[in-house]
Amino acid sequence: MVDTELFIEEAVEEIENEVGDANAVIALSGGVDSSVAAALAYEALGDRLTPVYVDTGLMRKGETEQVAETFSYMDSLRIVDAHERFLDALSGVTDPEEKRHIVGEGFIREFEREARDAEADYLVQGTIYPDRIESEGNIKSHHNVGGLPDIVDFEGIVEPVRELYKDEVREVARALGLDELVAERMPFPGPGLAVRVLGEVTEEKLDVAREATHAVEEELEAYDPWQALAAVIGKATGVKGDNRVHGWVVSVRAVESRDGMTARALELDWETLQRLQSRITGSQENVARVVYDVTHKPPATIEYE
Amino acid sequence: MTRIVVVDNHGQFTHLEGRALRDIGVETAIVDNTTAPDEIDADGLVLSGGPSIDESGRCDEYLDLGVPVLGICLGMQVIADELGGAVGAGDYGGYADVTVDIDDSDDPLVGSLAPETRVWASHADEVVELPEGFVRTGSSDVCDIESMSDPDRGLYGVQWHPEVAHTAEGEAVFENFRAICES
Repeated sequence: MVDTELFIEEAVEEIENEVGDANAVIALSGGVDSSVAAALAYEALGDRLTPVYVDTGLMRKGETEQVAETFSYMDSLRIVDAHERFLDALSGVTDPEEKRHIVGEGFIREFEREARDAEADYLVQGTIYPDRIESEGNIKSHHNVGGLPDIVDFEGIVEPVRELYKDEVREVARALGLDELVAERMPFPGPGLAVRVLGEVTEEKLDVAREATHAVEEELEAYDPWQALAAVIGKATGVKGDNRVHGWVVSVRAVESRDGMTARALELDWETLQRLQSRITGSQENVARVVYDVTHKPPATIEYE
Repeated sequence: MTRIVVVDNHGQFTHLEGRALRDIGVETAIVDNTTAPDEIDADGLVLSGGPSIDESGRCDEYLDLGVPVLGICLGMQVIADELGGAVGAGDYGGYADVTVDIDDSDDPLVGSLAPETRVWASHADEVVELPEGFVRTGSSDVCDIESMSDPDRGLYGVQWHPEVAHTAEGEAVFENFRAICES
């Protein structure tokens, strides 16, 4: 396990050395990786750091509000509403890798603009080790690695947690005194709900994935999963109140893992599964079916795209 | 301090092998599989998994360095292929949960896991014929040769992944390999 005290000392020093007297922006998602990167950079740079949170419209329910509250102690925090720009860029795109690249590029463009405004030359990212290994192996490109455009307008990119696994990042988060909500936060992919709706990204599908993911996270809390989510995987026929419905199929996924490198599908009891399907189909009229994904990683990955 | 070097065949879990060694308190480093053999300074080697035997670089040359070698997944297949065994597509890919029956409780690498152990696997190909001098040390329903050993030459292979968290006794495999490297 990582020696947190030594790690923090070295990471802060590394950020100081790399950024020097310049200013930096931090790409904050609210997840534990970027939160730790932000806290480390804040310690190194103080007010020369501008944390930027981009609301892409692909976020979980209540996520933006929560980030605003958790990081309110950083005066320079900026919350950018980029919702329409992202949905416009994703319109009509169905290829999963292209979706990831569009979101990745969109992120970088947003940060570039904010960085120029904050006169920052450096970008800090919370890239962790498994993000790199999946990108390098061409399994999935991660927005903070593979989606990076060829021409980036920064002097440098600093990735202070690039050698760590998720469980190690959580250790560091606790050592940094980040609140429990952040340290124990369920992983959420960079491209957000865009990779939890198969095919084209639309407001309707995003709403279904957002509400269903919220239901899954709440209902499965007692199982303490590494990650629990709901994805919109297609359409199927159903019948509701004597009317035919051609509605969405929601796939529920819940896994346990140490580091995200391997994962085991959780064994859920029938009652829990039924409560989930009842809540999701009952509260969302355009959902026809709920299925539970029993595949481990490998051969599947945790997220759908 | 004992130094065990991981040779990277570009597998998903290479870095986790480094982590597993670090976690048991061994000095370790990850080197690319194109590294010249005389530049490798180690008391033992781990050959990582990877996507293709055609991209296993100079792994074959590392078998002559005179230090114990543990081949994992593709790394085991490289050993078999180089020393006269055979590798082929299994009838049934091995993914995730597999129960491995250990043949010999005296085997230096996996004997301590006898009689059976739960492992995590991820492979389409497998060793279908042992090289001369090797004995099979483990098997499962989905793969006939789950592990193999040639203690005289200090060469060992496992088809599954002792480095991942879901393998129940993975750490014991690395501890056993450390003991082999230190003896």
